[in-house]
Amino acid sequence: MKVLFYGRLAESIATEVEVDALPGSSVAQLRDRLIAIYPQAEQPLRNVRSRACVGDTLVHDDYVPEVAETVEFLPPVSGG
Amino acid sequence: MVAILEDQRLDPQRELGELLAETGGDGAVVSFVGIARPESSVGADVEELLLEHHPVLTLKSLEDIAVEAAERFGISRVRVVHRCGRVPAGEPIVFAGAASKHRRAAFNAADYLMDRLKTEAVFWKRESGSAGSAWIEPTEADYADRDRWG
Repeated sequence: MKVLFYGRLAESIATEVEVDALPGSSVAQLRDRLIAIYPQAEQPLRNVRSRACVGDTLVHDDYVPEVAETVEFLPPVSGG
Repeated sequence: MVAILEDQRLDPQRELGELLAETGGDGAVVSFVGIARPESSVGADVEELLLEHHPVLTLKSLEDIAVEAAERFGISRVRVVHRCGRVPAGEPIVFAGAASKHRRAAFNAADYLMDRLKTEAVFWKRESGSAGSAWIEPTEADYADRDRWG
């Protein structure tokens, strides 16, 4: 599964990675998998203001992305 | 309503001119210009800001805030222009303008626009200076300013 990152998450992980995620994994499970692989990014990934996005739409933790979908993790926005 | 994500230097006078040119029958225009400060919140020098943005959600956030300001205050025109990319200290970073029949609605709309933009516009900002660089996020005061609108 392709995963994109922005801001401080991109800086601590990468702008884009491929992650082996089990079919049927939710966004919350994908986040846990990412934290296991990239423990340095745990704080911004778990921040309550961080969001996940699929197809340019914000999704909740229980959303189950298709394997072919790209999931974007957005750290807390800075505002303008 | 106009919302623009600008990757080149922002010209506030031009943006104000565009807003004034759109007004017809309005009696008030209020505008705000935000400038990249040369000093961080802890007093370190800042040479430039990097405003990273999302290819879709950033402009959508600007558009949503502009529309909601217009609806909330019943104003006739809103113009929001926001920089992205690298912005040297001292350069304009945002223009927010509102036009309405009467001044109070225009003042309130401009104030509301900036409180929402400061906390909800989809940007990730990093300050860079001689001491290094750091990602920055809204302050508790910024959230309190936004929350006073309910």
